[in-house]
Amino acid sequence: MSEQKTEAELIKFQGRIPVFARLLLTVLVIVIITELIGTKTISVGIANIVLLPMLYAVVIGVLITPDVLGKSITVLEKVISSEEIALAGPLVTLALLPLGVKYGLLVGPAIGQVVKAGPAFILQELGNLGTVLIGLPVALMLGLRREAIGATVSICREPTLGIIAERYGINSPEGTGVLATYLVGTVLGTIFYALLGSIATLTRLHPYALAMACGMGSASMMTASAGALAATVPEMADTILAYAATSNMLTGIDGVYAEVFLALPFVNWLYKKIGPREGGNK
Amino acid sequence: MGLDTEKTLNQLIIMLFVGVLILIGQWVGYGIPIMNAIPGMLIVIAICMASLIIKDLLPNLKFPAFAWASLIGLILCMPFMPTAETVLRFTKEVNFLGTTTPILAIAGISVGNRIDEFKRLSWRIVIISFVVFAGTFFGSAIIAHIVLKIQGII
Repeated sequence: MSEQKTEAELIKFQGRIPVFARLLLTVLVIVIITELIGTKTISVGIANIVLLPMLYAVVIGVLITPDVLGKSITVLEKVISSEEIALAGPLVTLALLPLGVKYGLLVGPAIGQVVKAGPAFILQELGNLGTVLIGLPVALMLGLRREAIGATVSICREPTLGIIAERYGINSPEGTGVLATYLVGTVLGTIFYALLGSIATLTRLHPYALAMACGMGSASMMTASAGALAATVPEMADTILAYAATSNMLTGIDGVYAEVFLALPFVNWLYKKIGPREGGNK
Repeated sequence: MGLDTEKTLNQLIIMLFVGVLILIGQWVGYGIPIMNAIPGMLIVIAICMASLIIKDLLPNLKFPAFAWASLIGLILCMPFMPTAETVLRFTKEVNFLGTTTPILAIAGISVGNRIDEFKRLSWRIVIISFVVFAGTFFGSAIIAHIVLKIQGII
């Protein structure tokens, strides 16, 4: 980490209570505002865009920082300064943990179904490494460096934020990359997957195989792609939705472990092979 | 590396504050009464703290606390576990989406001093994201197609 303070120092309360208070109260205000707005669904042709409070929260969070609105509104700059931003880094890692617990609690009761699900379900999980295989070369071609690691390690949903934030720090280049893909996915992911699902059968891959591919660890993206796919082959709709949901649940369970033990080592290995040569970088 | 009790205590205080943020957020957004959700939230926080402590005690394992948290949650509520019924009854009052709003608010603030970096990534990151999204989809579909063929299902 490039911070002058370590994570353990940053989360010390002694003498830093005003910093904690300003940050936590600001977050509380953002949470209340965004939850009051609530979930909004906008339908555009074939897809529904679902706007969740977390999306407004990240937008407001970015907007109130010194580089953006803080520039013109000096009161904001007094509330959220570089000190609060520095504290926000380690706080993200901690705030993610309840979500991790909830993932486990969602999957535990269904563990029997997962064990029954066949070899196809399990092996197709390896296909998630496709993000690295085609994503990393494209990212490097477009001139990204260590950001490419975070941006292409997976489709960068919340678990990936947790893993990358913990391994590299959310303030690292890798953290920038993972947040960038996360933000694009949050804003455009369902639209992209709805379009992909509706044209996927053109590839001549079997709809059942495509259905398994729809479950990539995000409920909204799975719903968008599987719904669109099912609409193109209505006679298989029920099986498609069942396969997609099972696959999505599987990624929910193994996604974290596959990322830690497969995708992250793989993306680092590939980066060493084809990435730019540079000294002094971790 | 052993356990740094001061750090653990600070983490506990922060987790309690995060819990309060989630409780207020899901009360405003989903109408879940705060009092009803306190026991479930305490269970969730206990699991979070266990995962942080395990991570500190096993630094060489490189297994993130986030993964420990989901693993502990999973084990505690598998159907044959004696803890499953109690844990699920209380924790269902902790809303899944409710836990995400504070995270994203804090994450937004934490990237505030790096706006220029995002500007530099600009349109390129949109292209990369789409390639990444297509990569996982077709990677999985091709493997599934082959395995289903071998199994004789399609």
